[in-house]
Amino acid sequence: MKIIDLKKEIGQFHLQVDYLELEEGCIHGFIGGNGSGKTTLLKLIMGILSPDSGSIDYNGLNMKEITMTSQRPYLLHDSVYENIIYPLKIRGIRPEPGEIAEYLENCGMEGKERQAARSLSSGEQQKVSMIRALCFHPRLIMIDETLSNLDPDSVDFFEKQILKIQEREKNTWILISHRLSEIARICDRVHVFHKGKVVESGPAGEVLFHSEVPEVQRFLKGELLIEKEVDRRRIR
Amino acid sequence: MLKTIINEIFSDVGVYDAIRVTFQMALTSTFISTVLGIISGLALERFSFPGKRLVIRINRTLMGVPPVVVGLIVYMLTMRRGPLGSLELLFTVKGMILAQTIIITPIICGMVYTYGNKTAPEVRTFAKTMGAGRLQTNLLILKEMKHEIYFAIVSGFGRSISEVGAVMLVGGNIKGHTRTMTTAISLLKSQGIFTEGLTLGVLLLIMAFLLQCLADFFRKESKEYENY
Amino acid sequence: MKKRVLGILLGTVLAFGMLSGCGGSNETEEQPAAEETAEEATEEAADTEEAEDTQQTETTEEGEEKGQLMMATTTSTADTGLLDYLAPIFLEDTGYELLWDAVGTGEALKMGENGDVDVVLVHAKASEEEFVANGYGVERFPVMYNDFIVVGPSEPIAATEDIQAVFSQILEEQLPFVSRGDDSGTDKKEKQIWEALSLDPTGNPNYLESGQGMGATLTMSDEKQAYCLTDRGTYLKMKKDADVALNLDIVCEGDSNLLNQYGVIAVNPEKYPEVDNEAANAFIEWICSDEIQKLIGEYGVEEYGEALFVPNAGTDA
Repeated sequence: MKIIDLKKEIGQFHLQVDYLELEEGCIHGFIGGNGSGKTTLLKLIMGILSPDSGSIDYNGLNMKEITMTSQRPYLLHDSVYENIIYPLKIRGIRPEPGEIAEYLENCGMEGKERQAARSLSSGEQQKVSMIRALCFHPRLIMIDETLSNLDPDSVDFFEKQILKIQEREKNTWILISHRLSEIARICDRVHVFHKGKVVESGPAGEVLFHSEVPEVQRFLKGELLIEKEVDRRRIR
Repeated sequence: MLKTIINEIFSDVGVYDAIRVTFQMALTSTFISTVLGIISGLALERFSFPGKRLVIRINRTLMGVPPVVVGLIVYMLTMRRGPLGSLELLFTVKGMILAQTIIITPIICGMVYTYGNKTAPEVRTFAKTMGAGRLQTNLLILKEMKHEIYFAIVSGFGRSISEVGAVMLVGGNIKGHTRTMTTAISLLKSQGIFTEGLTLGVLLLIMAFLLQCLADFFRKESKEYENY
Repeated sequence: MKKRVLGILLGTVLAFGMLSGCGGSNETEEQPAAEETAEEATEEAADTEEAEDTQQTETTEEGEEKGQLMMATTTSTADTGLLDYLAPIFLEDTGYELLWDAVGTGEALKMGENGDVDVVLVHAKASEEEFVANGYGVERFPVMYNDFIVVGPSEPIAATEDIQAVFSQILEEQLPFVSRGDDSGTDKKEKQIWEALSLDPTGNPNYLESGQGMGATLTMSDEKQAYCLTDRGTYLKMKKDADVALNLDIVCEGDSNLLNQYGVIAVNPEKYPEVDNEAANAFIEWICSDEIQKLIGEYGVEEYGEALFVPNAGTDA
């Protein structure tokens, strides 16, 4: 999938991506400060926003095979179960028996199928939206900080799940996260955003540890410092 | 049977038929207005076009239009020498339904537009991430707004059942044909029979209440997921 | 002319309503010519409004003011404009301001029974006598009469003096007929006539009850091209003033069954001490005086070519 000369202006903010290739069958990580354009690019790929100019070459990917989850996902005014099976329902697919119950159990939500989705905590709501996105096997899954509020066990479960599904289905993933450890654990390729531009793009190891772009170095340093700070406090 | 009992209780103003006409008129006009109001309300939310703000303002104004003005306009349109005179709608229940629809549609449209403005963009975005088609998206918007829409319908129905000015003008309060509960009350009042008028008013309220209960009963199943 | 000006005014108001809805309300700058027209129209509209208002609140500088007289009356006295014509004279002559609520005879008498008014002016002799007999009113005085007429399309009923022939034909041929059906004086009169002729109108499927006032019932008859019993005054006034002129002819007039006697009754102060009996008596004395009786007899001649009411105070009608 290729993004060519894409421009989008929202108020004072300008997103400009001259060229970005998102290889299929990879897990991509988008990192960068707040307001650097990560989410905007996801929305453009999703078709929620339309670009001022430029284009996205989906390389034959059908829009119905793309999904996106956000930090504050939209949940239907219905039960957890109905929320999760919605994408299956509109495709006329029956859920595999036990699959959803198993998912819920694995992330500590066993027996909550019939509960009102909107009465859940924000972390649980994120879990529901994650399960919903995983269940219908899209070819491109974009996860916009959806794991941010989850407990460590659940984060671990979903990370493993992502790796497992990717291994099996060879589909493409884009992950936005501020937790660099998470990016490092599961992403194949990393793209760094800064003030509406992609300043660095490449294999995860290279970008995270050997980048020579000054903005990337500064950003990574800052993020790592915060993580180290947190770690040190936790240890004490 | 029921007819005899009811007509026994009240003076000879045709109360039984008035009840029948009231509900026939209110239910039909609410149904038509619901269809028109939802379509126009959602269309107004969905599409932008030049003059949209003006349309919205006119819609809001019409939400509070005095029914008697609508009644007068419909009267002038449908009278024998009016532009729609050949349709013979004046002094018929059909004419009353027409007037009521003009009164209620803007109410439902305005409420659906307002709620839709709040809900629909979010649902539309969500539907896109789920890969829903256009029809599926619109159905989902309706489903997600069902409580608001229900409230809009109830408001419209309440307005319809309680209205007197327009139905008096357009219907003509003809006994057994176009007399409604409200115009019957107005007639009883003009005859100085206040207690019966009041009784009929209470009856009207009770029937509206029962209808609400019935609607709530059918809604109950979905309600258990609403504790947010 | 008047209607056209009103139409322009209506258009202007609608246009302003929309504009002011759009943004701000700075409509001070306006073409002087347009302003004049609008002013004229407003004045005229105010006149019409006053005439149609059920309550008269006019005051005058001459004569001392003694207070207000509350009267319940039938729609016909107000609809014909008689009260608008008499009220200023009453104020000048006696110093009382006449306020009235024009309703059906049934409701007017009810207002008297409840002590809500000082005096009633209605036309249903039997009910009036009962009203006095039950102690709600002091005494009934005849004031004037007008006559009822049957109006409707000139085909198939030919104009006649014979009410029996007309009503029988309506029943036999099942011709459309709109009744007031509101228990008003006119409605009672109509029912009495059917009864006196030993006819049952309810056997006619085209016999409708409008449950509304005389004006609304007349327009309905016009719309349905139906026959209708009406007082002459309302018919003449509507024939002349209604936007859509009535397309109804007089098919029956002059029958003795068609006379309509008005009576005035002061509400009994022994029953309701708070009523202004002094004002009520002043009104009764005034309206039965020769001078006012003469005015009543002249009312309408100039405008409609014939008198709307025939004064007959002092008789035993």
